[in-house]
Amino acid sequence: MNIVMGASGSGKTTLLKVLGGFLPHQQGKIFIFGHEMAHGISAQLRARIGYIPQQLGLVRNLTVLENVLIGALSRCKGVGPYFGIFPKAEVELAKSLLEQLGIGHKSEAKVIRLSGGERQRVAIARTLMQKPSLVLADEFVSDLDLNTAAEILNLIRQIGQRDRVTFLMNMHELQLVKDLDGSIFIMKDGKITSQCSGRELDRCAFEEMIR
Amino acid sequence: MKKNISGVIYFLIALLFVFTLARFGFFRMDQFMRGLANLFQFSRDAFPPDFGAFSTIGQALLETVEMAFAGTLLGFLISFPLAILGSRILFPSVVVAAARVIAGFLRTIPPLLWAVVFVIIVGLGPQAGTLSIALYTVGYLTKLYSELFEGTDPEVLEAVKGVGATKHHLVRYVVIPEGANAILSQLLFMFEYNIRASSILGFVGAGGIGFQIYVYLQTMEYQKLSAVLILILGIVLIMDYFGGFLRRRYLLAAGVTV
Repeated sequence: MNIVMGASGSGKTTLLKVLGGFLPHQQGKIFIFGHEMAHGISAQLRARIGYIPQQLGLVRNLTVLENVLIGALSRCKGVGPYFGIFPKAEVELAKSLLEQLGIGHKSEAKVIRLSGGERQRVAIARTLMQKPSLVLADEFVSDLDLNTAAEILNLIRQIGQRDRVTFLMNMHELQLVKDLDGSIFIMKDGKITSQCSGRELDRCAFEEMIR
Repeated sequence: MKKNISGVIYFLIALLFVFTLARFGFFRMDQFMRGLANLFQFSRDAFPPDFGAFSTIGQALLETVEMAFAGTLLGFLISFPLAILGSRILFPSVVVAAARVIAGFLRTIPPLLWAVVFVIIVGLGPQAGTLSIALYTVGYLTKLYSELFEGTDPEVLEAVKGVGATKHHLVRYVVIPEGANAILSQLLFMFEYNIRASSILGFVGAGGIGFQIYVYLQTMEYQKLSAVLILILGIVLIMDYFGGFLRRRYLLAAGVTV
């Protein structure tokens, strides 16, 4: 797990959008999985990168299951998906992910009817449905209370370890970040100014303050 | 200074308003009194309403509703793909401009004029009325829908694009579901509007109750005319209720304020 921290306007969201191929980079070079992202991002590469925006980007009028199945669109060819028909294996995978995330019982509910914590779980399930190697998540637990946010992050940690998925997340809650295993990058004015672990975060933050 | 300019603007608008009314004779007492006398005379001639010709009127009314229904749905089916082509978030500006010019042209011409055109093309009857309603609907719904589609939450579009979805997937899984409530709401509004609009298309021979209204006006059969107007009011109220029912059933259930 990799966390990017920094004040508002430091460039955290821009960094994730550039890495996800949503924004072009102005200078320097970007390598993802050994491929240089020179002119945008290829469809093949995009399918390997999951992206969870701050407001989650869920389709409110679709059901939980439909939202999760969106994650399989790049793999499903033919006209089936236009009529809401997906291969059985994909539907089974979606249901299994929802079960693992503890919202299997809500699969037929519309997203608009879900609580904040449930929506976070749907967003994670949709991203995992992509079978990504890298997940970019932009402050996606910032609207949750600390307990629910910690629970969600714990789930992500377990899934990341099990499926060997790298997470790169923007966060600003010091309390949550301290307990996480992984690297923390502090960002200021569009640049990474320091790197540390969760345990070293206090020292890191102090040094940043002095700087 | 800003307050003074606003004050001057309000004053000029008020002045223009009063001037326009005066130019049209709204402040002439003799004209007002004459109008009042005519109103009393018309009321005496129009009441009680004569429902004697109910079978003819009922049939024409049913045709009016049918024209509005078929015309609205036909217009909807054409406007939907046109609106998708007219959305900047999905298509390049050349395609968007072409779709919008077509919609703008169709919208500029009122249904009654379209009815005249179609009476010339397909002849007298409800077919001309249905086509005129359909074209006007295409003009309006294309504008409303393309603006609606453009208002789709960019973060949702970005997130779904991020999974490797194609443009067609975006339409199916984001643009349509996100706009579903407004799509239904605007379609119902258009249907209600088209019922009113189709009730006068018969003036030019394009079917519906308009022909009866025209005949009763020409022959000064005001009692029959008042019966027609009451029945139209009834139909409009029923459709308003039906529209309200659908809105409550589908929009409120989805958490949308209507």
